[in-house]
Amino acid sequence: MLVLVLGDLHIPHRCSSLPAKFKKLLVPGRIHHILATGNICTKESYDYLKSLANDVHIVRGDFDENLSYPEQKVVTVGQFRIGLCHGHQVVPRGDPEALSLIQRQLDVDILITGHTYKFEAYEHGNKFYINPGSATGAFNPLDTNVVPSFVLMDIQSTTVVTYVYQLIGDEVKVERIEYKKI
Amino acid sequence: MYPWSSSSYSGQAPNSVDARTMPNGLDDQEKLLAEAVGAARKQAFQMNHFLDKERMLDALKCASTMLSELRTSLLSPKSYYELYMAVTNELCHMEIYLSEKSNKETDLYELVQYSHTIVPRLYLLITVGIVYIKNDSTLKRSILKDLVEMCRGVQHPLRGLFLRNYLLQCTRNILPDVLVADNEHEGNVYDAIDFVLTNFAEMNKLWVRMQHQGHSSEKTRREKEREELKILVGTNLVRLSQLESATLETYQRLILPGILEQVVSCRDAIAQEYLMECIIQVFPDEFHLQTLDPFLKSCAQLETGVNVKNIIISLIERLAAYNQRSGKSSGNAIDAIIPAEVELFEVFSVQVANIVQTRMDMPLEDTISLQVALLSLAQKVYPDRVDYVDKVLGTTAQILQRMNMNNISHLLSVNQELSRLLRICIDFYNNALTIIQLHNFCPLLETFDYTSRKSLALYLVMNILENETTVSTADQADSLLTIITPLIKDDETLTNKDNPLGGGSGSNSTDAEEFAEEQGVVARFIHLLRSDEPDMQYKMLQTARKHLGNGGGQRLKHVLPPLVFAAYQLAFKYKAIAEQDENWDKKCQKIIQYCHSTISALAKADLPDLALRLYLQGALVIGEIRYTNHETVAYEFMTQAFSLYEDEISDSKAQLAAITLIMSTFEQMSCFGEENAEPLRTNCALAASKLLKKPDQCRGVVACASLFWSGKKNGEEMRDEKRTLDCLKKGARIASQCLDAGVQVQLYVELLNHYLFYFERGNSLITVAMLNQLIAKVNEELPNLEPSEETKQIESHYKNTIAHLRSRMESNDANLEVSFAGITLN
Repeated sequence: MLVLVLGDLHIPHRCSSLPAKFKKLLVPGRIHHILATGNICTKESYDYLKSLANDVHIVRGDFDENLSYPEQKVVTVGQFRIGLCHGHQVVPRGDPEALSLIQRQLDVDILITGHTYKFEAYEHGNKFYINPGSATGAFNPLDTNVVPSFVLMDIQSTTVVTYVYQLIGDEVKVERIEYKKI
Repeated sequence: MYPWSSSSYSGQAPNSVDARTMPNGLDDQEKLLAEAVGAARKQAFQMNHFLDKERMLDALKCASTMLSELRTSLLSPKSYYELYMAVTNELCHMEIYLSEKSNKETDLYELVQYSHTIVPRLYLLITVGIVYIKNDSTLKRSILKDLVEMCRGVQHPLRGLFLRNYLLQCTRNILPDVLVADNEHEGNVYDAIDFVLTNFAEMNKLWVRMQHQGHSSEKTRREKEREELKILVGTNLVRLSQLESATLETYQRLILPGILEQVVSCRDAIAQEYLMECIIQVFPDEFHLQTLDPFLKSCAQLETGVNVKNIIISLIERLAAYNQRSGKSSGNAIDAIIPAEVELFEVFSVQVANIVQTRMDMPLEDTISLQVALLSLAQKVYPDRVDYVDKVLGTTAQILQRMNMNNISHLLSVNQELSRLLRICIDFYNNALTIIQLHNFCPLLETFDYTSRKSLALYLVMNILENETTVSTADQADSLLTIITPLIKDDETLTNKDNPLGGGSGSNSTDAEEFAEEQGVVARFIHLLRSDEPDMQYKMLQTARKHLGNGGGQRLKHVLPPLVFAAYQLAFKYKAIAEQDENWDKKCQKIIQYCHSTISALAKADLPDLALRLYLQGALVIGEIRYTNHETVAYEFMTQAFSLYEDEISDSKAQLAAITLIMSTFEQMSCFGEENAEPLRTNCALAASKLLKKPDQCRGVVACASLFWSGKKNGEEMRDEKRTLDCLKKGARIASQCLDAGVQVQLYVELLNHYLFYFERGNSLITVAMLNQLIAKVNEELPNLEPSEETKQIESHYKNTIAHLRSRMESNDANLEVSFAGITLN
């Protein structure tokens, strides 16, 4: 089961489009679910995601105008409960302990957040945390070197293999990280 | 080769309309044809019989009688053709026989002249004549001349056309095709040209005359019949094009003038349109290239009903295709294919203008179509000549100006052609920067109505986005933004009342969606204004701001934020080159001022939520850049955000979101001295405690705790244990005031987590007793909640919290700063 995880696009506020190399990778028909961490911003971006997979889950980012997006959401894929939250509500920003507060509240195996524009995937207290970064490499006042990135999760029963795609220079680099549910 | 000789024609279902308008119904036609063919066959049988017996005179008599069937006036062209085929087939036997025996019968040419009627006589004459020529080529010249003249004797259009067709068919392999003959009586290519041109002229006259026979009510049927017969006339041109000795010079001097003279002077629209097209198709492109002037001049002289546009477009397309084809096969640069001395574009340009001027009857959209053809010629043959393209646009603009056309409605077909013209330009270059080099693009665009100007603007911007065309100077930005004005501003010619988008807001949801999409496209375009020169980048942003500032609130919402973010990025760029540019500090100040005024424009446009977020982003940027005076300006940005929060945001959900954002932004900032930080902190705390709903208050106040803990004081984390705890305690107090038991327990669990968070971080004022108290409270209240989805969520939240606590208590991790000893879990 392939799950696309991405967010903080900020189109058209901060960028004109997704990197062309990413668009080439993201083809319709292969992805089963999309989990978006927010700041999708426009209906066009949402429609684009919809064109990749029918099942799209979005939480509200600080620059999302669409009030119908929830602040938090729990999606069950296979045997995993996956929590989704943009993360601007978390103080201090991106702090693992602060994030684990949300993980406990949502009672999830995997917590996905954005807002830091920096890819991260780690285990903490036996739970898995993913931040897909910004798929467009959107401008961020606190980090002037944002690397565009997104994450693809391959979920098979109790294992999730995470592939992170990063656009470094003009090349897409892929890394693989595995997490097993205990 | 005949349209009706294929099975598709004979297989056609009878058409009831035809049946009624024809003098003889289709059934009659079939009957008449069957009778005629039957009679001819009978005579043919006799003829062959006599030929076998070498009774020549009897055979000729039969042939004559057989050929008499072709004298009929009752058959339609289609039936007549079938009869003609049947008869001429039989005549072949005669020809073959004669070819073998001709030595004995030398007076045949005279003999056949005794046939009673002219049609059989001439068919026989042609047959015999050909045999003579085959046997003695020195007779060729005089017999050919004689035959083509004698055929004048049949002036009935249908019969004449087929007779001359027979002549053309019989002579196709024996036309003299040499420049100089060994024996002058054999004739040369000029005799052949003369022969075919004469035959062509006569056939064309007969064909044209068909139009003027019979009743005027049968005009449509006649035109259909003529359409069926046109290929007979065209065959003459094919024959001319097959003459291998005819050089370009001969074509220029004799063939083309001969054809054109006939075409122009026949003054018949159907003939002219077909024959001009025929010339284009049958003669080689190399010839066309050298004869553009006479050909196009003749086009100008054609009858009013002729679709000159199609003729010219067809020629242009052929030449452009030739150019590309030859370019490919020879591997040369494209402009080397068409000889340099042929100024293809110039010639077409002058002649098209001439045609437009002389043919006043041509519909305007056809005139524009001609310009489209001219434009595609310029692009295909001279891809580098932007000036040619511009010239076409200029000419088009002049034509419209002369006709006083402006505000051309998007519903007119002229508009569609004009749009095509401009879209072709955009598609061809795929580079908007080339488009702005076309000086006549804008004037032409201005003749459109608002709707079509807007759709073209959108087309251009989409093209820019697809090709990621980077705009790198302020002048380019200015030109492009001028072109796309219809997207940026409402139609000024309409009053607000008439305008569905008055003030820029959609009147219904589809309109609103479409509007948002358009504005999103403009917003994306702004990111392609990108110069490596920071000063130029700033100029571009100023230019864009000037253009985009007047679109009304609904547009500003989409197009101003990109400007603000681009400016923030530019400020960072200046910071990065601080060492090379001593004025970077002042320039940053200016940029931040630019952002400030842009954001306040958004605030004024009743977009407080958006403005607040942009101010907060700005505060972060300023705090990072640290130019002179940055602290005061960052403070200004924070207070602007606060005022918006206090004065403009009233929805309680939006309020909680806003204050949380203000706090989380402030928590990250380290540029403030205590003089500025303290009022901000206090205000956050105050604002949080003043939120309307108790749960919001509780969560707000608890979030505020972070300001006193990880928030910065003189650049360091504050770690104010007392005030952190005060916030938590206040949160607990507010929670206790909640009347909804479920919400209350939920808040207690959240509070427990926050207490734990600071406890683990080493806030020594938080005691185990406090944690125990909260745990006890939850343990006491939780079982009393009514079972529901919410309760289940609270239970698992609590369960996870306890599990976390337990793992901490059991942990041997030496890094843990605090002792969990004494916590009672049950």
